[in-house]
Amino acid sequence: MTEVARKQTEIPERKISRRDFMKKGGAAVALSAAGLVVGSRVFASPKEEPAAATGVKYAMVIDLDRCFGCRACMEACKVENNTPEGVFWMYVFRFEEGRYPNVKLSYMPRPCQHCDNAPCVKPCPVGARYKRADGLVATDWKRCIGCRYCEVACPYSVNYFNWGEQTKRQYLDWKAPEAESVRQVTGGTVPPYKNPDLAGAFKPENRYIAGGSHQKGVMGKCTFCVHRLDKGLLPACVANCPVQVYHFGNINDPESEVSKILRSKRAWRLLDELGTRPSVYYIGSVPPTPEFRQIEAVKGRTL
Amino acid sequence: MTTPVMQKLPYGVGQWGRGWFIIAVIAALITGFGLFAYSRQLIEGLAATGLGDIGTAGGSAWGLYIAFDVYFVGVSFAGITIAALIRLMNLERLKPVARMAEGLTIVSLVLAALMVIIDLGQPGRGIINLLRYARPQSPFFGTFTLVISAYLFASLVFLYLEGRRDAALCAQKPGKLQGFFRLWAAGYGDTREERERHNRTAWWLALFILPLLVTAHSTLGMIFGIQPGRPGWYSALQAPSFVVLAGVSGVGLLIVIVAILRKALRLEDKLDIQVFRWLGNFLWILTAVYLYFIIVDFLTANYSGGSREATIYGALTNGPYAWLFWLTVSMFILSFILMFGQFARRRYSITLVTIAGVLANFAAIGKRDVIVIPSQTHGTMLPYEAGTYTPTWVELTIILGLFALGALLYIVFTKVFPVMEVHDGKNETVAPAEETGKLQNNGTARKRMFVVTLLSGIALAVAGFLLAAPIGPTADPMYSDPRIPFAPLIFVIGIIVTILSPVVYELFPDKRGEKREAVKA
Repeated sequence: MTEVARKQTEIPERKISRRDFMKKGGAAVALSAAGLVVGSRVFASPKEEPAAATGVKYAMVIDLDRCFGCRACMEACKVENNTPEGVFWMYVFRFEEGRYPNVKLSYMPRPCQHCDNAPCVKPCPVGARYKRADGLVATDWKRCIGCRYCEVACPYSVNYFNWGEQTKRQYLDWKAPEAESVRQVTGGTVPPYKNPDLAGAFKPENRYIAGGSHQKGVMGKCTFCVHRLDKGLLPACVANCPVQVYHFGNINDPESEVSKILRSKRAWRLLDELGTRPSVYYIGSVPPTPEFRQIEAVKGRTL
Repeated sequence: MTTPVMQKLPYGVGQWGRGWFIIAVIAALITGFGLFAYSRQLIEGLAATGLGDIGTAGGSAWGLYIAFDVYFVGVSFAGITIAALIRLMNLERLKPVARMAEGLTIVSLVLAALMVIIDLGQPGRGIINLLRYARPQSPFFGTFTLVISAYLFASLVFLYLEGRRDAALCAQKPGKLQGFFRLWAAGYGDTREERERHNRTAWWLALFILPLLVTAHSTLGMIFGIQPGRPGWYSALQAPSFVVLAGVSGVGLLIVIVAILRKALRLEDKLDIQVFRWLGNFLWILTAVYLYFIIVDFLTANYSGGSREATIYGALTNGPYAWLFWLTVSMFILSFILMFGQFARRRYSITLVTIAGVLANFAAIGKRDVIVIPSQTHGTMLPYEAGTYTPTWVELTIILGLFALGALLYIVFTKVFPVMEVHDGKNETVAPAEETGKLQNNGTARKRMFVVTLLSGIALAVAGFLLAAPIGPTADPMYSDPRIPFAPLIFVIGIIVTILSPVVYELFPDKRGEKREAVKA
């Protein structure tokens, strides 16, 4: 290649005086220190809640010694939240452990854990998934862009994406002729059933966090039945459990049922070693180990 | 001025031959198929894909789309790195491929941006909400702002400034594209000052781009590497290995493109074996580093045994993904052996280097898949049953369509702008700017404008970042909202203005004597 003034301009050797070096170096150090401080604040994990926090903070205690795996809570959740086929915002594991004939069965409900340091809240690119002051981890389905980052980030696998337009609810095709006849008979109140409370905005942020009508292309998960809490009711799974496996209440109130149970019994939280700090506590039994095998797994086609 | 220096535009620019049209039509047809598949996905939603929910539904929430998004961003590595290295280290040998590499970077970044949008469940909402609410706490923020705006824009600015001289040359020839070249050249006069000025800005721009590049590819790795809930992803090795794998795929694809253009444009004498030797050596070094990463990762996951990482590796080495994993690893090794053998014997063959490039790319695609998918189907922390993921025709067609779109964009690029630097010193010179106009070096105003642009860009970017990132505990609802709406847009604009400052520096007009001033006054 011939020379066409493309040569790098000759760089003259320059002496840097000590004063100059100190000035520039000092400025660079100060700038990077400022960057580190800002960065560590922006990306910091939330601190542990102070012991005497005020206000309501919801928590759930699940008594595994009582659970016998009837899955009524799953059913209640589906009816209450109109979740589509194959979607289980509440799921009950039925586990088997050991080898025949020395086999042990155990059951473990798995709602959303509503973590204080939620792995799903941090990576949400638009803040659709957020943590409320009352402890709920909420999904704003009107803001969600459907990137599914929360779903891959969640160690508990509680997220269910609305892959397509929902035509089936309550295992009955809304567009099927028999649905029409049911609708006529019941005046549109029982299956095919649509919970009108799910559509609205919720205080204090005025955001759409109850799941709505499971719109195509947005994420959904357990909401702790925020629409029921709003009216002073318990979540559907809690209210419908036949043997009172679930206890639900304000963990900031030392006299609440959950606070009393947590004081008196040894409790553990699921995958606590990841630092997620869930709001769901388990008492009785032990956390599942990799030796636990799932039996009668409910596997549904997610449309 | 009277002697026409070139009869035709160089390197087939503006000459749309029959072969070119045939390829363009085929590429357009495949792109059309891709568009059709995407229309199906728009109607049916992501249900048209093979994706599914992790956990009870036994699926994979991220699949080929994310894998190929990562691949496209990775490929973009090559172009701008090589162009920047040529600038910074004076690698004369590689100069002929600089422009081809820059083109590759820009095309692949466009494809990556499209791939992200295609992957979204709510694409329309996504574009608006990202500018409105994007949160710096999310690793995706890096992808959307650093990769797709900063990186793409910096590459465009680099290509633009580096191409001005050639554009000025091409603008001398009459033709349909003359206006376009004149616009590109933007009054480039090829004076000594302009050349020196350009050398200076290009050097600084290159210096600025290199850390941006490492950051951008690391952010992409961080998308996976900082998720404690996904065994197989959660690793400090993720970010550096993404940078290296980006290099492997990018340099590999660049070798393939250089080989194709060499034949298609008959550039055998300009693109000699030395170019391939350099690129090939670059490739085997990166591949060796990546193989080393694979081994380290494997040992870490398997040594203790019983960990969840070991489950993932079980699925990879001995489970449903074994065929893909071993195919990938053997392609990496084969590519490495092909190149290293040539290096050791000090004899190079263009065909063999190209084969190594092709292998490296297939290996990179395979590796992206085995990074993204098994951690979702087999990496659940609770004892769910293992899942499966099989891509549907919609996904495959869309990805194929994107590749065709990329090819189409690239071959259009080769026809509207010379793929190599035109000037070779002897007879190709830009007409020297008229000295009669008394060009004055308007240094201070130029510098002032440059500094103003640069500082306002940086100020906007910093302000946008801080406004987009509320500082506080997660429980604060503020945490999910920017302090003011569209703060991320301010950040992106700030970055773009910052990157535009060298353009201001180079294009700021010289004063043309006192005449004009007098007229105005």
